[in-house]
Amino acid sequence: MGKLYTFLKYFFITVWTVFVVAPFLWALTTSFKDFNSVNGGVTYIPWVDFEPNLEGWRVLIKSPAQGGVDIVEPYFNSLFVTCTASLVSIILGTLSAYALSRYTFKAGPIKNNDITFFFISQRIMPPIVLSIPFFLFLGAVNLLDSLFGLIVVYIVLLMPIAVWIMVDFFNKVPREIDETALIDGCNPYQAFYKVVLPNSIPGLIVAGMFCIIFGWIDFFFAFILTFTEVQLLPVKIVALNSSITPWWSLSASALVSVAPLIVVAFIVERYLSKGNLSGAIK
Amino acid sequence: MNLVGENLSYKLTEELQLRKISFNFEKGKLYTILGRTLSGKTTLLKTIAGLLMPDSGSIRFEDKNFLEIPVWKRNIAMVYQQFINYPHLNVFENIAFPLKQRGLDPQKINDEVFKSLKLVGLEGYEKRKIQELSGGQQQRVSVARSLVKNAKILLLDEPLVNLDYKLREQLREEFKNIFVNGLSKESIVIFSTTDPREAMELNGEVIVLDEGRVLQVGAAKEIFENPKDLKVAAISNDPPMNILKADLGSNKIKFEDIEIDIPNHLSKLTNKNFNFGIRASDIELNDNGFEFEVVLAEISGSETLLHLTRGNLKIITSIEEVMDFKIRDKVKINFKSNRAYAFDEVGNLASSPFRGGNV
Amino acid sequence: MNFKHKYVFLFPGLFVLIGILIFPIIFVVRLSLSGWNSYNGLNFIGLENYVRLFTDDPRFWESFIRLSFLSVTTVVLQYVIGFTLAHMVWKEIKFQRFFRVLFLIPMMTTPVIMTVIWRTFFHESLGPVNDLLQIFDIAPKWLTDPTLAKVTVIIVEVWQWTPFMFLLLLAGLLSLPKEPFLAAAIDGASPIRKFIYVTFPLMAPISIGAIIIRLIEASKIMDTVYVLTSGGPGTSTETSSFYIFIKGLREFQMGYAASMSFTYLIIMIISLTVIAKVLTKLLLKD
Repeated sequence: MGKLYTFLKYFFITVWTVFVVAPFLWALTTSFKDFNSVNGGVTYIPWVDFEPNLEGWRVLIKSPAQGGVDIVEPYFNSLFVTCTASLVSIILGTLSAYALSRYTFKAGPIKNNDITFFFISQRIMPPIVLSIPFFLFLGAVNLLDSLFGLIVVYIVLLMPIAVWIMVDFFNKVPREIDETALIDGCNPYQAFYKVVLPNSIPGLIVAGMFCIIFGWIDFFFAFILTFTEVQLLPVKIVALNSSITPWWSLSASALVSVAPLIVVAFIVERYLSKGNLSGAIK
Repeated sequence: MNLVGENLSYKLTEELQLRKISFNFEKGKLYTILGRTLSGKTTLLKTIAGLLMPDSGSIRFEDKNFLEIPVWKRNIAMVYQQFINYPHLNVFENIAFPLKQRGLDPQKINDEVFKSLKLVGLEGYEKRKIQELSGGQQQRVSVARSLVKNAKILLLDEPLVNLDYKLREQLREEFKNIFVNGLSKESIVIFSTTDPREAMELNGEVIVLDEGRVLQVGAAKEIFENPKDLKVAAISNDPPMNILKADLGSNKIKFEDIEIDIPNHLSKLTNKNFNFGIRASDIELNDNGFEFEVVLAEISGSETLLHLTRGNLKIITSIEEVMDFKIRDKVKINFKSNRAYAFDEVGNLASSPFRGGNV
Repeated sequence: MNFKHKYVFLFPGLFVLIGILIFPIIFVVRLSLSGWNSYNGLNFIGLENYVRLFTDDPRFWESFIRLSFLSVTTVVLQYVIGFTLAHMVWKEIKFQRFFRVLFLIPMMTTPVIMTVIWRTFFHESLGPVNDLLQIFDIAPKWLTDPTLAKVTVIIVEVWQWTPFMFLLLLAGLLSLPKEPFLAAAIDGASPIRKFIYVTFPLMAPISIGAIIIRLIEASKIMDTVYVLTSGGPGTSTETSSFYIFIKGLREFQMGYAASMSFTYLIIMIISLTVIAKVLTKLLLKD
């Protein structure tokens, strides 16, 4: 390969790396600033441009009464809703995906592919289309502004992802393995949990990661379907944004909120290298 | 007490995979299903196993309606052509799996597993992971798993086809010993293959299957000596038997510009036009023979296959040694006409060197 | 295999999904044919909402065209950049795993939260972007100029979602068979020819899948716009979802918003189908 190509390659990678990292670096430095170093002209380098302090980070764990921003409760709310909805979606989605991959269904003109498409097509639905009826629906059954109501809605968001990834994963597991389990005396349920499930861990992990990502980053439903009783992290942070919150605590809380999912990036990359995600895209 | 199937039909989409298949398998015997790829072998085995439900027909075993018993209660064993084992379990756990499923006590399981490990020659491998084994060893594990159950019906779906040539020869010999000599008189072994030589060597009862139909049933020797028709002759020979359109003259058999003497067993043919069949191995190189041109020469194992032409004639011959030929070389060959077959115009066997046929 | 157990596997998931969705979907259709106020709830008004939408609401159609522009532009950019990045870290490169993880990170971050950061980043007087641009003596109004605001939205969307495209395409590249590349190497094909004649055609089906998935997700642009510009200045960054949101949950014209939602959904399904067909024709013609 030519020298020019190598040069362009590293040039492009460098530029993109800077672009990816820039907002994080900016948020990180801002989180250690005080009033003067934010409002008295733009500053970059701690100790040189400005004297860093921990005020922005301290307010995170203080209650509003003490002048804090109180993101602890929203944090745990977000974790709880995301994990519960992901877990339910993975369990139900995996079971359905297994059925769709292994067995044939036929009801009039509806066949396996149509059912699979029905699951996956829920992703096409723009959140706004669902949000209005959900708003009225949850209001009618008194679940507005509750964790349970949000979990129900998130299942609709996440189950299509679980089905999408798992159908594809199961299609790549030879069905002769299940058949052998049946021949060896397992009934279909036993064949599933004794043989298929232990061999599907990579698929389950990838599907789980995707559910967690798309659950954790949702803002819109949490924004519309909750008010004061229950607050999720993104809603809380956006609320900070529109109030008079100083930039340093805003930056610190933003960094704390995006941090846990960076672990997910490592896990996804690991399984990507093993090629476990390859077929899920076509 | 036998395994009896009657009029089994199965269709996957449009096309029938099994067309009214009937059989009667006796305990203590080995059956070989011989047929080309997609002839319905796997479908038939899976139907017997209970993995597929036939659209019509019945299967009875030990005087019970077999179709009412789900796979997991049928007490069968199956070995696939892909090397199927449980990837998350080690060798020991793989073989022990069916026994654990039956709830046997650990000591008994241990004994049985080691017995069958010994039978397939994998002693000392019990702690290995499946992925660490070679293809041949993986297939031995799945054979061991199928043996350990003492199943009443043992199904082997082309178990050797994915192995390399040498290993195939070796395992075929071993498997024959295991299956023919090592099994109890209570078991039925059904082995499917595309390879006629394998069927002959296993020397059991052969069922020739084609496009979901049973063409011929009989002892291996009988199928080989007296193939019922052209299709069976093609399926039960590798390379396929040469079939040449021939005329019966007053004292010669003619095809194209070749004339050969009428052998004794063909002298009673009544019809003037017939199909002259001769195996590749019954054509020999002979300096006084007819001249043919080499189209292709391939070496397979210890023999050489020659594809030859002369005018419109195309034949294949196999020579029992490794020889070097180039394309367009001229060779002279002779037909061992005393080993030739005659099939009538619709393809049924008219006369064979082994006194078969209807003439 | 065909055992009755199959229903036990399929039905829980299917029925939970249908159970959650059936009411909202029927309701949205019913609502779209109704007026709505807090005194007497629903009152049936037939197709009035739709008539109004199709004859008397240019703002909806403008927002739809804006959405199409924004999503197509961002997805094209994401595809080009994502493919380039994926191709670069596909084969041997220093710090391969580091770059792969790094390039994935933005999609793991919550869009609205990052947008909060982006707002400070593009702040006209206190943000670093304009501070650096001072060198050239310019101070663009990133968030308050109608044209630039669109550019800002696109930049943020590209930052956020190129990683997803990157992920899908890298997974695709890693799953490609090796033989065609060996053949090309034996023929002595140059890297550029190899890309045009081997890599790209092999990646076509994966590309189509990735583009469609991203278009679906991109058409939902809403969070970013809400935090970054609130649709402004004026309506210059207002997308369909955002406009429906304003009508339905700000002005509480629920019936009208439902009719817009329904119309929008139909248009989306039709245009995505058409795009999928066109892409398949373009990329898979051989």
